[in-house]
Amino acid sequence: MEEYSVIGKRVPRFDSREKVMGQGKYAADYSMPGMLWCKVARAPLPHARILNIDTSRAERMPGVKAVVTGKDFGGWTWGFMANTRDEPPLAVDKVRYLHEGVAGVAAIDEDIAEEACELIKVDYEELPGVFDPEEAMKEGAPIIHDYRPNNVSVDYHWNFGDVEKAFADSYIVREDRFKTGKVIVGFLEPPASLAYYDPTGYITVRAAKQSPYFHYRHLAACFNLPLNRVRVIQPLIGGGFGGTKNDSVAGDFCAVMLSKMTGKPVKFVYTMDEVLTTCRRRHNMIVYNKMGMTRDGLLTAIESRVVANGGAYTAIGPLAMYLAGFATTLPYKLPNFKYDCYRMFTNNPVSAAMRGHGITHTRFACEIHMEMMAEELGIDPVEIRMRNAIDNPKRGEVYRTINDVSLKTCGLKEAIKAAVEDPLWSEKEKRPKKAGPVSYGVGLSGTSYLGGARQLGHQSCGAIVRICEDGSVNLLTGATDCGQGSDTVLTMIVAEELGLKYDDVQLQRVDTAYTPVDPGSYGSRVTALAGQATQKAAQDAKKQLVEAGAKAWNVTPEEIEIRNSVVYLKKNPDKKMSFEKLAKIASYEGSGAVILGRGYSGYGIEPLDFMTGTGNGGTGYSFTAQTVGLGVDMETGKTDVTDFTIAHDCGRPLHPISVESQNEGGAVQGLGQAIYEEFVMDKGKTFNDSFLDYKMPRSTDSPDIKVIDIITDDPDGPYGAKEASEGSHVSAPPAVVSAIHDATGIWFKELPVTPEKIVKALKEKGRWLK
Amino acid sequence: MAVFYRRLPRFEYLLPKTLEEALSALKNQKGSAKVFAGGTDLIPQLKRREIPTPKCVIDLKGISGLDKITYDDGSRLTIGSLATISALAQSPIVLQHFPSLFQAASSIGSPQVRNRGTFAGNICTAVPSADSAPALLTLEANVKIKGPKKERTVPISKFFTGPRMTVLKPDEILLEISVPKPAPASRGVYLKLSPRHSMDLAIVGVAVLGVSENGVCKDVKIALGAVAPTPIRAPMAEAMLKGQRITSALIDEAARNAITQCSPIDDHRASQEYRCDMVYAMTRRALNQVFAQ
Amino acid sequence: MEQIRLNVNGKDYELQVKPSATLLDVIREDLALTGTKEGCGVGECGACTVIMEGKAVNACIVLAIEANGKSITTIEGLADGEKLHPIQEAFVEIGGLQCGFCTPGMILSTKVLLDKNKTPTDQEIRKGLEGNFCRCTGYTKIVESVKVAAQKMRG
Repeated sequence: MEEYSVIGKRVPRFDSREKVMGQGKYAADYSMPGMLWCKVARAPLPHARILNIDTSRAERMPGVKAVVTGKDFGGWTWGFMANTRDEPPLAVDKVRYLHEGVAGVAAIDEDIAEEACELIKVDYEELPGVFDPEEAMKEGAPIIHDYRPNNVSVDYHWNFGDVEKAFADSYIVREDRFKTGKVIVGFLEPPASLAYYDPTGYITVRAAKQSPYFHYRHLAACFNLPLNRVRVIQPLIGGGFGGTKNDSVAGDFCAVMLSKMTGKPVKFVYTMDEVLTTCRRRHNMIVYNKMGMTRDGLLTAIESRVVANGGAYTAIGPLAMYLAGFATTLPYKLPNFKYDCYRMFTNNPVSAAMRGHGITHTRFACEIHMEMMAEELGIDPVEIRMRNAIDNPKRGEVYRTINDVSLKTCGLKEAIKAAVEDPLWSEKEKRPKKAGPVSYGVGLSGTSYLGGARQLGHQSCGAIVRICEDGSVNLLTGATDCGQGSDTVLTMIVAEELGLKYDDVQLQRVDTAYTPVDPGSYGSRVTALAGQATQKAAQDAKKQLVEAGAKAWNVTPEEIEIRNSVVYLKKNPDKKMSFEKLAKIASYEGSGAVILGRGYSGYGIEPLDFMTGTGNGGTGYSFTAQTVGLGVDMETGKTDVTDFTIAHDCGRPLHPISVESQNEGGAVQGLGQAIYEEFVMDKGKTFNDSFLDYKMPRSTDSPDIKVIDIITDDPDGPYGAKEASEGSHVSAPPAVVSAIHDATGIWFKELPVTPEKIVKALKEKGRWLK
Repeated sequence: MAVFYRRLPRFEYLLPKTLEEALSALKNQKGSAKVFAGGTDLIPQLKRREIPTPKCVIDLKGISGLDKITYDDGSRLTIGSLATISALAQSPIVLQHFPSLFQAASSIGSPQVRNRGTFAGNICTAVPSADSAPALLTLEANVKIKGPKKERTVPISKFFTGPRMTVLKPDEILLEISVPKPAPASRGVYLKLSPRHSMDLAIVGVAVLGVSENGVCKDVKIALGAVAPTPIRAPMAEAMLKGQRITSALIDEAARNAITQCSPIDDHRASQEYRCDMVYAMTRRALNQVFAQ
Repeated sequence: MEQIRLNVNGKDYELQVKPSATLLDVIREDLALTGTKEGCGVGECGACTVIMEGKAVNACIVLAIEANGKSITTIEGLADGEKLHPIQEAFVEIGGLQCGFCTPGMILSTKVLLDKNKTPTDQEIRKGLEGNFCRCTGYTKIVESVKVAAQKMRG
């Protein structure tokens, strides 16, 4: 095993200093002289035809400079796939969810813009709405999009092996209905951007986007400009977690259009209740799961029928439904699998991606299902998992699932072992089961998540390493750090490859005018794919430097090494020079070359196959075993979650601080989903649209967390790395529900498991307040 | 048109230096002014356009002498209307002599909110779940109110008239809350039930103040928050306990009875059934804590 | 418009403000100190926490005019030039931040907590920071950072 100089070290995050000093700038922190403020005016109905919009009074208000409506975008719509471009920047003929944007106002002050919105008069013809996905499936349900008269936004039907025969031959078969709740990513920074449309036809935008290249393509298409005239500059981002900051929002398009109309820079900032009510959220899904096992608890077949609430537009729905199915064949051996899914349009805000995209729902269902069946068979939760877990393939071998997902490493068994050897699980019998009204429980889960996700469309991922004449180094990357720590990892990779100290490398954040394209931050792809591109770019730069050094020393390039910013001859380390000196030689002497290293990620995997569900969704898969310790107050149902132990196989942690932090944060976000968070909605209206009532975990709700690294050194990841961003978000909810079962004896199949639901279940079993 | 406001609406601001100035300003505004102290309820309400925008807001913090917490002669605690919730939560006197008030104060909001908000503001906003109310009800506090012509004292039991409604008239200002010292050997608790451990409103809030002697209940006061149009006392449950030997069966009966005195609603925070069940569970718990042997 | 005077990070400012301007608006826009962030805008998330007259407050629900004559510390006022405050040092060392949006508010709440309580328990730290929401870190490394900061501040 190699000893790295920088990789694997606990260096401070790349951007920590500017963040702790309050110097780092986020989108809303930018201003430009002459700037106007943009406000989006929204519809008061969830489903209605727009008959007429009268903006004249708003336009006449002093201080208002322009008003834009849906028609001004010339019928342009966007979406994830060529045949699902059903979403306009502002509603045009119809409003399809409550508070969908219908107009935008630009004024000299935000107050004036807000007041002007009230003066816009819209005539609607209200239409009957449908708000539940299973209602939307029924005959006669209101039609939301003409191009989908049955309201089916996406559906897939996959079949591997023979589930019917497998069920018939199983010792035990169970069918249960599971439900995941309406939750949202919950970033603290609301969407914002400052846009300028130069009259020569050039857009410059500073926007809070975790995948800026999506936005740059949206703007180019929307405003009919070539990509080289669209410049998206990425500021610091206050949280992404998928969804909204991968997509473009009404404010983004309005700000650019209003800038075009007025010739002035235009800024918008959303409010948090606007975010909670109108922005992207996770799909909530109903999973009808059927699972079969042998007498020994070995899985024989899984049949999942999934109905998802898609909301008003398609967005990234096709990917969500693919991800919800394809990885059901992980992390346990599964010989037969059938998957039927339906993403339904409803008159709700749009469901899109969120950390643990897709897999979260079906993995929750399958984990709980497996434990329920193990209980029936009298097999303990650790044993059932160890019997079914995929083994770590030997070096050079590949494990393939029945739907052709391939693994070169799988640390699940090691992770389970590590998790249950930790005292939280191993000493649970020594701790009291009850104290007053509180009943204690410990739960377990074993899960997987993909890394290195690719999409159907563009995959290009490049990096440039620029060596300045004084030996200082810039990394130009299209990869985006939305808080997860990728800037740190990529900088470490450059430092490692070039033999420099971590502090010597400067990263240039995304500016689409200058940085090479990268798909963005989603599907845990940045370390794996942008990491590979960066590694290659650094290696390319090093090659050019070392060639110049070899000429200067009259040796071959292979004889030269660089470590700790010192360049030396391998066979005689006393022959040395500083990295700075080498950079000078390379830059000034000889042909006057400019040292630019180029790299791109060439991980060749087959494109995603939505229609059959065959093949890989990513370049590698992480594995997580998690234990949870909690206490349930059996009188009130209130749950105190006190401990998490997370054993995570991410191949190799490149930046241990970030890997731990991602595991901790992902798990707490998963905890929110498991017991606290849920939008309470009726007829498309959200009742709990504030941080007070949409209950995300606070410091006093969060457990003590221990993270254990499981090292498997995946050959397909840079330095052996796999993803470390989403695994613990998937592992937390089933482990929490498993712990609640241990404490209460009750299996809960619907998230979130709120105090009220616990009391209701206890009452039904005659066990409340006895 | 639906608009999500980020800015406050336009209003004027007055900072009277004396109570008379404040009362006079209120009178002149003829109902189109709002007084405030901490602003932790008012400012968010204005931002969300939840209430009609007043023509002006009157900041009471310029008036000196209203922020004191005093415990003169050890017979009553006087909480000035400008005393912050933090000041209450950090007062050793409150902790020692009025523990249920201490618990209530510590349960509100966050440090940032407690540093600005006041108990006076909490009872004037008068949401049914107001955390200060149940403990004040059990302690039979009095509220001193000053109007343009006179001062009056209203017992807290008469202060609340409905959700977000009190007897405070538009031209009156709350001056202080005075809390008589409870009988010696009293024990008081305020238990707040909410799904999370911070920042939540109470689903059910229960305050109990009780004295027992040789296992007999000499006196008990039970108050409930978030389960009726206003915070309420539960007199029938109290009557079941007074003068009786305390047993867990009796406590159980009284707690069950408390349900009959509340009328909670179904809303997005909890169902009526759960709130009723929790009245029973939490009243029982509070009574057990107060009368623990 | 009203005339007010604010003392921010040790410097006096004379400003003209609307009665309806919040302290947060004025800090960010009039004084161009953008280190203080707006999250929820209604006092529920703590992103806008500043220290006013020694106490942590949510600047988004304090009117600028209410702060007239008061002394305020924002995140920009914590470091001594280029030298980080021990709390800032600790957050950098331990990695008590990810996206950094909650960080200014979190650090100022930490300062108020540690100035009052030099040896807080984990529970006291969590309770002391209950007004500051974080979505990224799960709070684990924040609590660790506060403990290390307390150690540094004890000397």
